[in-house]
Amino acid sequence: MKAGLHKNKKGKSDKIGYLLVSPYLLHLCLFVGFPIVFCFVLVFHKWDIVSEMEWVGLTNFSRLFQDKLFFKAILNTLTFLLVHIPLQLIIALFLAELLNQKLKIRGFFRASFFMPVVVSGVVITILWDQIYAQDTGMLNLILAKFGMPKMRWLTSPELAMPSIAIMATWKNVGLYIVLFLVGLQAVPKYLYEAADLEGASHWYKFTRITLPMINPTVYMVVILSTIGGFSLFIEPYVMTGGGPMNSTLSAVLYIYNQGFFFYHMGYAATLAFFFAAIIFAVIMIQRKVIEKESAY
Amino acid sequence: MRTPRFLVDITCMLFWAVLLFCAGCSQRPSEREGVITYWSANSQYEQDLAKVVVAEWNQLHPDIPVRHQPIPEGQSSEEIILAAVVGESPPDIYSNMWPGDVEIYVKAKALVPLSDFSDFVSVADSRLKPELVEEARSLDGKVYQIPWKTNPIMMLYNKGVLAENGFAHPARTYSEYLAQAKALTADLDGDGYTDRYMSLLDIRAIWWQRFFDYYTFYVAATGGKTLMRNGRPTFDNPESVAVFDFLKTLFKEEYAPLEKATGRGDHFLAGRVLTRFTGPWEITHAEKFKPDGFEYDFAPIPVPDGFEGPVYTYGDFKNIVIFRTSNKAEAAWQFAKFMISRKNDHRLLTMTSQIPIRKNVLGDSLYQEYFQENPMMMRFARQAEYVRGIDLSKAMKEVFDAISQEYEACVVYAAKSPEAAVHDASKRVELILK
Repeated sequence: MKAGLHKNKKGKSDKIGYLLVSPYLLHLCLFVGFPIVFCFVLVFHKWDIVSEMEWVGLTNFSRLFQDKLFFKAILNTLTFLLVHIPLQLIIALFLAELLNQKLKIRGFFRASFFMPVVVSGVVITILWDQIYAQDTGMLNLILAKFGMPKMRWLTSPELAMPSIAIMATWKNVGLYIVLFLVGLQAVPKYLYEAADLEGASHWYKFTRITLPMINPTVYMVVILSTIGGFSLFIEPYVMTGGGPMNSTLSAVLYIYNQGFFFYHMGYAATLAFFFAAIIFAVIMIQRKVIEKESAY
Repeated sequence: MRTPRFLVDITCMLFWAVLLFCAGCSQRPSEREGVITYWSANSQYEQDLAKVVVAEWNQLHPDIPVRHQPIPEGQSSEEIILAAVVGESPPDIYSNMWPGDVEIYVKAKALVPLSDFSDFVSVADSRLKPELVEEARSLDGKVYQIPWKTNPIMMLYNKGVLAENGFAHPARTYSEYLAQAKALTADLDGDGYTDRYMSLLDIRAIWWQRFFDYYTFYVAATGGKTLMRNGRPTFDNPESVAVFDFLKTLFKEEYAPLEKATGRGDHFLAGRVLTRFTGPWEITHAEKFKPDGFEYDFAPIPVPDGFEGPVYTYGDFKNIVIFRTSNKAEAAWQFAKFMISRKNDHRLLTMTSQIPIRKNVLGDSLYQEYFQENPMMMRFARQAEYVRGIDLSKAMKEVFDAISQEYEACVVYAAKSPEAAVHDASKRVELILK
């Protein structure tokens, strides 16, 4: 019998498989496929949800390329990624390395670091909103104890986005710790034993054994962080509304505002497609770079 | 013979599909039962009011039954109404419509023109000042909303602290306000941090926040002008610049904190902020939570020095509309007229502490007892004689967003001069309206 053909005992093609996957296919078509197709149709229309759609051709694209605020939002998102991804990688790897040691209450620490991941994003942002508050926030109270001036964490155009990036890192780092832990535990012990026999230092073992061996995990973490970072929305939406001076206006928040505040559905769809293309390009570049780096 | 399992599965799926299809195709409840569906705001006070009004209507008009339902919970009532209109399942009548959204629904032909009813003119004339009827008139010349209630924005101030510091009355002009701010904004415990601010303004560039700072002050400074005329911006003027300049000074001199009002409860009742610009809803809150001996009051919005005439303010209107999907629009109009009757306006006032938009509220004997018992509400009733809503335009949110962006740059972060900010905001609005 040829491989790949699914036949039952009577030799008939087994159609029950199609039936079993049909609920998922139906869901996929209705809630993923249809919105994408509809979104693509919107790109060429002007639509405010309640009125009739109006064909505008490529007008939405010409508007996009003149929209300075959208490009500022993309730049803000990239700034966020520049802080968020390295911070996330370094902290997650450092903590995973620590949690991979034989600690007494390792389970407690692992659960603690993972806790923010499962808490609602809105709850976390409200919590950090209080921590960052200028007059009453915990951070500024600590600074005041040391005689340092108060910082405008969320109301300074220079500090607001890094502050959000730190908070987002705190929230998500638990997930990446778990991923790194899995990667670290898969590194064969004998490699370290051999290095120990040669008198290798801890740093040498980390850079020459651990890092190369967990490269696929690093790749996965970078990709996931990038995708997560590009979809930055809840934090600026709840904490800053995109301010101060649009310094925390992320691309997704801008698209949301265009669509659901101003009801420019066609333009929002155009921005969404354009932004998706940017994400795709960035991911492809990352992939090429990391694949090249790991070709040892 | 045993039925194959996959046939059972298919039958089950078909059953559910048919059930869902039938549910989707069913008539709206109001169509099915021949009743008028009325959505009110979902605050407890308004729900209580609606229940009383609907119960009385149903008793008087058993042939035209009305069913009350508070607007479903959501991020905002505007979003819920939008979703209902798009899903072609709005109520027959809705009493919490923000006038800024009306033009969108007019363009989408979702509202019934109330001015087409034969008795509209007499109903409107008996209740409203002519300028309010004109303010409610849409760009196509018809009236699709009946102004129902207003929450005028006034200055809430800490009467006790002002009196203790020798200020006999609240500030009436910008100079008086800034003088009081200079005297009263203070670091009370000497730790280097300001403990008491004169003002609290929202620093975020969120479009609707401008109703409570820039727009309210603009309406006051101009003697009741709005932002546009004949579809073009008219706010690039000295009054607008004066408002930006005044508000900018509050942040520059640190009379208002450059931060979001988060944490530690109500800053006004805690004495950390001496004035706020807000509506009558604060009375219920303040009476419930104010500390012993705390004295507060309301006053008109400060105006530029040398200003003469009555002080207007933003009215924060909520209006009644009837949706075109209703097949009982005539009956719904009868119910709308019942809602805005003298008796039910009295209920609106006493049960929800909101001012009905009707002529001579203060002079009407029916309302006297309430105002005597609630003197602070009398200030709002007096102010309600001098209120303005917003211009009717499909792009009001964008207009206020453009102003917000310039407000943030100029007033909050002092990155622009007031003249430049007002001019740029006007240019932006002109582009939006094109």
